[in-house]
Amino acid sequence: MSESPITRMAEATPQPLARKVRGLSDRAIAWIFVAPTIFLLLAVNIFPLIWTINLSFTNFKANRPNREVEYIGLRNYERILTDSDIWLSMQATAHFLFWTIFFQVLIGFTLAWLINKKFKGNDLWTTIIVLPMMLSPAVVGNFWTFLYQPQIGLFNYVVAFFTGADPSSFEMLGSVQLAPWAIVIVDTWMWTPFVMLICLAGLRSIPDYIYEAAEIDRASKWRQFWTITVPMVMPFLMLAVLFRGIENFKMFDLVVQLTGGGPGSTTELASINLKREAFEKWRTGYSSAFAIILFVTVFGLASIYVKALNKVKDR
Amino acid sequence: MSEVVLESVSKRFGDTLALADVSMVVPDGAFVVLLGPTGAGKTTTLRLIAGLDRPDTGNIVIAGQSVLDYTPAQRDVAMVFQQYSLYPHLTVRENLAFPLKSPLLNTPADEVERKVRAVAETLRIPHKLDNKATELSGGEMQRVSIGRALVRQPQIYLMDEPLSSLDAKLRAELRVELKHIQANLGATMLYVTHDQIEAMTMATHIGVLEEGRLVQFGAPRDVYENPVSTYVATRLGQPRINLLPADLFPGAPSGAETIGLRPEHIVQGEGQPATVLRVEHLGDQTRLHLRFGGHEVVTTTEVHSHHAQGDEISIRPQSALYFDAAGTCMTTGA
Ligand SMILES: Nc1ncnc2c1ncn2[C@@H]1O[C@H](COP(=O)(O)OP(=O)(O)O)[C@@H](O)[C@H]1O
Ligand SMILES: [Mg+2]
Repeated sequence: MSESPITRMAEATPQPLARKVRGLSDRAIAWIFVAPTIFLLLAVNIFPLIWTINLSFTNFKANRPNREVEYIGLRNYERILTDSDIWLSMQATAHFLFWTIFFQVLIGFTLAWLINKKFKGNDLWTTIIVLPMMLSPAVVGNFWTFLYQPQIGLFNYVVAFFTGADPSSFEMLGSVQLAPWAIVIVDTWMWTPFVMLICLAGLRSIPDYIYEAAEIDRASKWRQFWTITVPMVMPFLMLAVLFRGIENFKMFDLVVQLTGGGPGSTTELASINLKREAFEKWRTGYSSAFAIILFVTVFGLASIYVKALNKVKDR
Repeated sequence: MSEVVLESVSKRFGDTLALADVSMVVPDGAFVVLLGPTGAGKTTTLRLIAGLDRPDTGNIVIAGQSVLDYTPAQRDVAMVFQQYSLYPHLTVRENLAFPLKSPLLNTPADEVERKVRAVAETLRIPHKLDNKATELSGGEMQRVSIGRALVRQPQIYLMDEPLSSLDAKLRAELRVELKHIQANLGATMLYVTHDQIEAMTMATHIGVLEEGRLVQFGAPRDVYENPVSTYVATRLGQPRINLLPADLFPGAPSGAETIGLRPEHIVQGEGQPATVLRVEHLGDQTRLHLRFGGHEVVTTTEVHSHHAQGDEISIRPQSALYFDAAGTCMTTGA
């Protein structure tokens, strides 16, 4: 055999390493690497989910771990679906979801559209507008309770200034009519910047030359807005709505801080109700069933929504 | 009724002077080809006429009216952009119909469909009408972009290298179609290209831009035969004009620095000796690369030439162009 440089190099090249390490195959090594992740996933996500499903068919109470647990079939589910409290909390959630998304999209898109105009200092404005989003929900909830104070609250004062009403004549957090709107206002204040940022990304993704082509094609600004701006920002907007929707479906901290679910149960959102059932009334089986129902609802809605989103994107 | 006049138009982008004092009269119905290397200001010229940019100084007059304060829509121009600029979220059909749906035109739906179809047929893309604009090859996008200009019947067409990414056959076909459409409509056309044949066959006028200045404007033959400078002379002609030191041949006028020889300026079979370096058979023409006095000279010869590498032939200039030290042409009349 000739000792050409190439054959020498070929001989010096080691055999594929992986195949040799302790006689393990590539596949086995791959499994070893992903195993910790899979284990964690099972332990932290999958197992609790399955356990919750299991508990949802029982009358287990976590504060009486020694009591004998009975399987009661679908009784928990039956009771939940006929429980008027639960339906009220679902209604409160729907109200909260709809109006927060409505206002955040409306205001967020408008702000993004204005900020996207080329004017001096628009970066500074963006930073200022985005500030609320960077605060902790607990902090936001806490200081809005002050803003909503009938006597000393800035919010009441401002409303009074513009309407001429007496600032102490209404209590945003104490009134059955106003409290559901009070939480909508705070969430909108806090999260509109998020929707704005995503819309801004969408607007910035539209190249100038498309508007130039439209100018040449004699499309009015109005028509450019509806046939170019809106359709091209739509996938971004829908993504923002998805994020806000999922977040607000499980809204807890901000509202607990503001109203604690009151007055009465007017602002008792599903997740607050769930927490009560699980950790105040200790109806573990019952609340497990409720959790499963919420999970399926979010999951179902989100899947339908993501399908729609993809359709818009592919259009 | 749509003569376009540029009066001392200048445009600056930061430090770059994109257009410097350009004056040009484009007669109604003319087909003007703008030539010049990248960065010469061709696109800027079109954008100023379209109204997408505003000149820093100077005036733009369309059909006898200054249009400086007019929007692109008011100027009624159609433009084919160099980078296509299709609406990415719309289908080809919707892209083509977009200009027709302008309330200014108010075209009925069946009319829109008919026109879109006709234009798609002209551009050989009827089978792509339902594709999204992003699901096309470069050449197809370019054709949609041309189509978007052709569905309308504007006063002025502005086309920025519209055929640059098409294959040779399609380019030849569409060249004829475009010229035909423009001539039929009697529209005024400003057309940017780097293609020699497009420039010579389509243009009624050629404008040559050099670093933002319009250095020559005239009929294609005139620009070809009487270029004002070496710069203009190298813009037209295939193979390119040979620029050699003037004293290589006897008979140069005094002050001549450079002699410009197009193939038709080179008489073969007499004069001074040259060596054949390479023979290129292009099919419709045959090119000879010659070594002459330490310089390479490219010329053409009869298609079925029997010259081979290393052959000795003799050449002589005939009614050649002479240029002075600044590159300005000294010869007038061929
Ligand atoms: N929007 C712009 N911003 C900055 N410089 C520009 C802009 N548009 C064109 N230029 C400059 O102006 C000069 C002419 O550009 P252009 O008209 O596009 O050239 P061409 O189309 O002949 O290749 C170039 O130097 C280019 O860099
Ligand atoms: Mg250009």
